[in-house]
Amino acid sequence: MTKYVHHEMKVAPTPEEAARQTFMSSMRMYVLLDMANGMRTVYDTEVAPKFKRKNKRAPRDGIEVHRALKKDTFFKFYSSMRCNAQEMVFRSILPTVERSQDALNKKAKVLSRSKKAAGTVETDPSFVVPRSVAAIDVHRMPGNYDTEYGPDDVTQGAVYDNGISVFSMGFFGDNLDDIGSSISLFIKNKYPKFAPKRILDMGCTIGHNTVPWAKIYPKSEVHAVDVSAPAVRYGHARAQSDGVAVHFHQQNAEHTNFEDGSFDLIFSSMFLHEVPKKGIKKIFKEAHRLLKPGGLMLHMELPPNKMLGAYDSFYLDWDSYYNKEPFYKPFRDLDPEVVSENAGFAKNKFVQFIIPSVGQYGEKAVKDSVKKQTGKADDQTGRFAAGIHWYCFGAWK
Amino acid sequence: MTAAAEKKPLRYSVRGKNTQFFSGEGVDELVSITMALAQELWVVKERLAAFEAVATKKKVFTAKEIEGFKFTPAQRAKLDAESQAFIDRVFFVLRERVEGLAADPDEPPAPKEP
Repeated sequence: MTKYVHHEMKVAPTPEEAARQTFMSSMRMYVLLDMANGMRTVYDTEVAPKFKRKNKRAPRDGIEVHRALKKDTFFKFYSSMRCNAQEMVFRSILPTVERSQDALNKKAKVLSRSKKAAGTVETDPSFVVPRSVAAIDVHRMPGNYDTEYGPDDVTQGAVYDNGISVFSMGFFGDNLDDIGSSISLFIKNKYPKFAPKRILDMGCTIGHNTVPWAKIYPKSEVHAVDVSAPAVRYGHARAQSDGVAVHFHQQNAEHTNFEDGSFDLIFSSMFLHEVPKKGIKKIFKEAHRLLKPGGLMLHMELPPNKMLGAYDSFYLDWDSYYNKEPFYKPFRDLDPEVVSENAGFAKNKFVQFIIPSVGQYGEKAVKDSVKKQTGKADDQTGRFAAGIHWYCFGAWK
Repeated sequence: MTAAAEKKPLRYSVRGKNTQFFSGEGVDELVSITMALAQELWVVKERLAAFEAVATKKKVFTAKEIEGFKFTPAQRAKLDAESQAFIDRVFFVLRERVEGLAADPDEPPAPKEP
């Protein structure tokens, strides 16, 4: 179930640490599947009927579901255990990373010089990390993306890589790249004539979903930006270890230093929901500026609230209230089509897709899904469960 | 001072406020403690499973021998030290509260709860 990091930046947990990590994948599976299903049953059989009796109607949106459910003991246990599980995931990997800190920093330098791939990394000592990252431990990750424990430090990249390996219970695939692999395979089949020469991944963290684009479009030049220096350093080492050339930059996706019209494809994954609304609008405008005419902006994200029913909206918004993801709900309340249009993309150029996970369904299913797009999200969209699908949207310039 | 001594320890606790889900005092903390205990119990079960597998394979000992076993003073001292780390992990939530009081979080607020 737990997919341990196995590239050259891997760390070596003791048997006790590995057992703690395995337990956390199991615990999260229990909370996110068994308890989540249990909470849905409690809602359907007790909470929703009670709401209906009192109000003569069903809850209209996620907020009403939330208000009705939050008094229930099951919700309290679900929420409390999920918060704990989230923190315990990171605490289960921290001792292993802490012990390996010096070795990881050395290994990153060796990989950076390696001839295995011609990737690069550039960090900016004068860079000011935005408050939305610097002031919060996003999704309860101690130290967040940006803490640096010393010069040229990669620690938080390792914390993220090892943490999400335990956290994702195998749903992100062996290299944590299922999102990038599924979506890039889909785009290549959906638009066979589209051959991007320059690709940019915005908010790339450790580049785990950047690498699949470089693999599927091997002639392209791939760049990736993130505000975190430890993440881009680690991502560079990680990509080098994989033999894939990616150019990492410590830059803010809201205002990069790339030239106008210099990219054919701009991608992001699980990024926008960690950015305040003002920033999201700037990122769309920046993507519009950076794209060549005929280029594609594509963001993998959680589906917007307007695509979901009241219960599923409540379920996904939970993180915003309790999981140190304050920008999650404001993002999901936005209409991606409107934000794209406001950034300069034409209304009829908007696209959105729901794509099966290549890890769970295989390549054929992803290719087949090109012709089977219904435009409807369900409770398998963006959720860790058997049958996971990835949602993405964007626009052609 | 050596480089190792200068090294900053990694932060294990999460900054900022946490929601109190239960109205009863201490219930949220007890959930945390229970989960950590469950995790540690699992570690022991995995370790025991490994021991039993190896012992059985090598015909090293019987269950009766284990019942009558006494640790040496050195083994006991090592175990005592390990139990301190064990307790710290189990009751981590209490340490986190104290560390949280010492920190000065400036995190952006979550949306107002409905």
